[in-house]
Order: sequence, then C-alpha cells, then structure tokens
Amino acid sequence: MKHLPRACALSLAAATALAMAACSTDPGDASSSGGSGDLKTGNGVTDSSINVGVLTDLSGPFAAGAAVQVTEFKAYWDQVNADGGVCDRDVAVDVQDHGYDPQKAVTLYRSMAPDVIALQQVLGGPTSAAVLPLAQQDDVYVGGVGWAGSALQYENNQLPGASYAIQGANAIDYMVDELNVAKGSKVGVVYFAGDYGNDALAGAQHAADERGLEVVAQEITPATTDLSAQASALAQEGVAGVVLGAAPAQLASLAGVLGSQGANVPIVGLNPTFNPSLLTTPAADALLANVYSITAVAPYASDTPAVKTASDLYTKADPQGAIGWEVPLAYVQAELLKQALDGACDSGDLTPAGVVAALRDSSSVDTQGLLPDGLDYSEVGQSPTTSVYVSKVDAQAPAGLKLVDELSGPSAESFSYGS
Amino acid sequence: MSYFLEQVLNGLSYGLVLSLIAAGFAIVFTSTGVLNFAHGSIVLFGAYLVAVLHPTIGFWPALLVGMAGAALVGVLINTLLVRHLADPNPGTAAILMLGVDIVLLTELTRRIGNKVLTLGAPWGADVVRFGDVSLPAGRVVAAGVTVVAFAGLWYLFSRTDLGVGMRAAAADGPTASLMGIRLSRTAATGWALAGVLAAVAGVFLTSFPAPGVAPTVALSAFAAIPAWVLGGFDSVPGAVVGGLLIGLTSALVTGYEGDLSPFLGTGFGEVAPYVVMIVVLLVRPSGLLGSKEAVRV
Repeated sequence: MKHLPRACALSLAAATALAMAACSTDPGDASSSGGSGDLKTGNGVTDSSINVGVLTDLSGPFAAGAAVQVTEFKAYWDQVNADGGVCDRDVAVDVQDHGYDPQKAVTLYRSMAPDVIALQQVLGGPTSAAVLPLAQQDDVYVGGVGWAGSALQYENNQLPGASYAIQGANAIDYMVDELNVAKGSKVGVVYFAGDYGNDALAGAQHAADERGLEVVAQEITPATTDLSAQASALAQEGVAGVVLGAAPAQLASLAGVLGSQGANVPIVGLNPTFNPSLLTTPAADALLANVYSITAVAPYASDTPAVKTASDLYTKADPQGAIGWEVPLAYVQAELLKQALDGACDSGDLTPAGVVAALRDSSSVDTQGLLPDGLDYSEVGQSPTTSVYVSKVDAQAPAGLKLVDELSGPSAESFSYGS
Repeated sequence: MSYFLEQVLNGLSYGLVLSLIAAGFAIVFTSTGVLNFAHGSIVLFGAYLVAVLHPTIGFWPALLVGMAGAALVGVLINTLLVRHLADPNPGTAAILMLGVDIVLLTELTRRIGNKVLTLGAPWGADVVRFGDVSLPAGRVVAAGVTVVAFAGLWYLFSRTDLGVGMRAAAADGPTASLMGIRLSRTAATGWALAGVLAAVAGVFLTSFPAPGVAPTVALSAFAAIPAWVLGGFDSVPGAVVGGLLIGLTSALVTGYEGDLSPFLGTGFGEVAPYVVMIVVLLVRPSGLLGSKEAVRV
C-alpha cells in the first residue's frame, strides 16, 4: 500500500483545522431598546420596519424544499405588508443559507441576531440544535425547526403543530381504530437514528404499550435506501402495520419490497416521508395501495380556505414551482410568527424578548385550519397539540395526498414528555 | 430456511453491486495512487444521466451515455486536477477528492432537488421467484452484469497489453515508464474504467428495491468503502470478496436484528460492515487480498 499513514495524518490535520475554524462572534445585543411612543422596541425594529431572519438550506441536502418555503415566506410577508404590515411597520425577511452546516448556522446567527427581532425558521435538526440554545440565551424567538421533541425544552421555540412522538402515537392509534390492526399484533417501526426517528419511536412505543401491540423496531440511517433486509425481517415477524419515521426514499423502498413480498400491510409515514415524485417510481402501485401519511400541517390538497390561500400565493409567486406539504407549512410558520409579533405589539413590547413572551402567553392559537385549532404554547416541554392530519396516497390529489381524517388519538393524548 | 436463503441471496446480490463500486475505488488507487473520495458522486452522476435522458432516448442508450459521461468525469478529474498536483501523495489527493465530491454533489443535489428520479429500467419493480424465495429482478440482472464485468476486467488485466501496462505502472511507475509504458494513458484508462463501473453500479443501486435517483445515493455508495478497504486497497478481486462479505453481513445482521438486539442493540446492521472491516484489518493489515508494502530492512 502507498503512504497511508501520511494520508491519514493529512486527513486528520484537515479535520482538526476545520474543527478549529469555529469562530465565535459576540452575541447580538438583544436587550437594547428604543422608544416609539408607548411602544418598547429592540433589535430589528425601526419606526418603519421589522426585520425577521430565516436560516435555511439553499445549497445542501434540503435545498429544493427550502427554496419552496422561502418563496412562500416572501409572498406571505409581501401580502401582509400590502395589507398594512405589523404594528404599522413593514416586515422584511433576511434569508441566509447555512447549507445544513451547524457551524455556519451558528456564525450566521451571531451576525444576524443584532439585526432581527426573531428567527422565523432555522431549517434542519443539527443546525437548529446548534442555534436554539444560543437564541434562548439571547431571548430570541426561533420557529420552523421541524417537529423533534428535543426542541420543546426551549422556551423561545415554537413548534408548528404536533411533535414526532405525537405523530407516531397517532399513527398507532389510527392503525388500531381505523385499519383493523388487532390487539396483540406486532407493528414495525422503521426510523432514522437521531432526534427525529427516536422521538417518533418513543411515541409509537408508548401507543403500542397502551393499545396492547408489540413493536418490532428497525433503526436505519438516511444512507439506507434499499430496505430489502428490513422489509423481509418485518414480514418474517408478521407485522400488521408499519410506522415509518424516515424520508421519501425509504418510504418507496419499504412499500415496494413489502408489496412485492405480498405483505399488504398499512404503512403510515410521518410528516417528511412523502413526496409526490414517488408516484413516478416503480413503487407507485404499492404506495397507492398501502401508504398513509400523518402530518402536523394540513396537506396541500386540503380544501381548507387558508390552505387554498397559501397555495394561491405560492403559485402566483412561482407558477412553475414544485408543490407539496412545504407550501402550507411555510405559510403557517410565517402566520405563527405574525401572531407572536401582533401579541408583542399589543402588549407594548416589540422586542425579541417581547415576542417570546407573547408566544408563551398563547394558550389557544388558531391558524384557520392550517394547523389543528387550539394550539397551546403556554407549557414549555410539551407538544402544542395532540391532533394531526391523516392522508392517503392518491394519484388524483394535488401533491399526491388526499386528506382523510383529523385525529387526536387516545395514546397521543396520554403521551407526555418527561414521564 | 427460506427466510435465511432469501436474506443470503439479498446480501450477495447487494454485495455484488457494492463490489462494482469498490472495484472502482481499487482501480483508481492502483492506477494513480489516489483515494478517490469523489467516487460516490460519480456513481450518482452516472445514475442521474440515465434518469434524465431515458425519457427522450430510451433506457439502454441512456445507460451508454451515463457510462460514457461518468468515465469522462473521471478522466477530467485526473487530467485537470490530479496530474497537476504539486505534491503527488495520497493525502493531498484525497483531500482534493473530498473537495471535488462536495462540488459535484452540491450541483447534483441542486439539480435533483427533493425529487426521486425514476430510471425507466425495463425490469421496474419485477420480482423473480425461486421456490419460496423472491429476489428483485434488477438484482438478478445486476448479478449477471457484475459477473460479466469482472470477467472482462480479468481479461483486460491479464491478457491485454493495456491491462498489463496498467499493472506494471501500478507496481513500479518509474520503471514502467522507462520501459515505454505511457503512465498518462494507463492513469486515464483507470479513471475511465472506474467511471464506467460507477455508472453501472449507480443504475443498480437506484433500481428497485431502492426507489430511484436521489442525492442520498452518493452516501449509499460509501457503503462500499469497507468492502474496498477489507479487500485490500489495490486489489480488484479483493473488492469482489469484500463486497460480497459486506453485503452478506449487512443483510444477515439486519435480517436477524430481532434475535441479535438483546446483545447488540438496535441498528447494528449499519455498524456491522465496519466491525467486519476492523476485525479483518486486525488479522490482515493489508486487507484480504491487498499487496503488502515493501519494507526495507
């Protein structure tokens, strides 16, 4: 072999250099304030404008879905500004690309924090995990971080609907109550190791215990796109249904292999698992036959007026853009922040801390059907709702999902973080 | 028993696809001494070309273009970057390849977006049944193609002047050069061959039971690294044995996770290939079939 020790040494040196490139800047002064009549203002607020930040992934693995959301964010705030703005001010969105790199996200946060009142979105598990504690120290609102239960511990975080554990528990409840999965059956849970999958597993495990089912767990990573071995193992165990806490590639493989083995059992995927492009893959028949999707946000094909408003705004802004669950999600994230900004304005404290306080004063938030009604953000550490949307894969429905139910199952209602 | 057989066939057929990728790593290493960490992106690039071209020119012509395109990318990387390195050692080249991988993968991710592209392969989601055991048709085709590909490689390296020249260049570049072998030609051939193998592997790696072409394919291709390392960095037969061993290990550990999890915990199927690699390297530091480094005493 040729000079491997030297190669390893060089690789190590490069890795060390990258790690040491961690540069820290001073946290933004989130406590500065100015006056505007009786209104207290702070970072990111002038007499005529309010700046909100978005840290997203425009160059990494989630670039496509992130671009859809950014288009919708901008369209939403343009509409709000045309209608008079927030607190008599126009809202401007500062979008920065972290490329799914936590270090870059932290650096961007440091440079952005002094100039924004809140972060409407920090996209991605590892990136938001890096930013959330810093933003909490600075009392800066952070929305749009996904649905991992680990983010619930932060007072400054606003989860857009039910957490993954609640989604997983509802998936089991739906299988038992609506899909004839009998007590005593085995159910598979295939999940990504990490904050997403492990949270989903915790909810599904809780529900399985409550409903008298046995969980057969299969842990995978995003690199696992051939689920033959996992599907065979689940079929061998005779599972009566499967909960999937993974991504679209895994859904197509799992459904396709189970279908080819004649195991026609329901597969219930959580929020990020479905993508309409799967209906062009060889697994389309299996997806149409057996797959359901549980989402925290109303699906694109929902006939709720607010979802229609969201999709109209999006298609006007980008007529050729890809459609999917990202559109209503982006709209409702902006809507949640607007409600918090309105709350801060009403209480006379339009500062970062004022927005966080307004968020935590909200015990019954309604979003016109984009999220389940009555979201309760007053209790830090718990999911704001136990309700989710259940859709069935349907080739005729826009974005491939047809809404069939809104559900708050008994196991989801009895689930509690930290218990 | 049929369950065991199904997992074994599953593992072996997946292992053959991994061995195609691992052989690409090994061929580039032997022909230019480069640890090609951009190989996963080249695998994805080949599959991407097939996915975007098949609707207009059909699957088989698209496959040919994919193979040619991946070969061309390999040759360009070698010609434009590797040959001009001021410090021609594996460490520098490896870091350069990490950079190439990031650039290529970022661009492919931008183009593919969050979609899963379909390949249009004629075997689709068909399944072949052998008694109680079923295997995806794509994997059966993959097994046949891989065997033919390796027979071709054996012929090239043992029966043709070009192949013998490549082996000579790998064994001792300066001496081979003095004997009239053009190192630039053997290097370009090595990169092109690896590119062709990458495109073929990319097609099978994204065929059913995998869903199609998505950016994560580049990550999946890295599953071949333990196969390459434990086979021996510079051995194509080692890559075949390594691929089969890793495929079999993954399938059996995942398939029997229910029985193994009380001892090993969940998710061990993802770790098992690396455990096998470490164990093999502890026993045979040069890999199963790798050549031992000459040591002056």
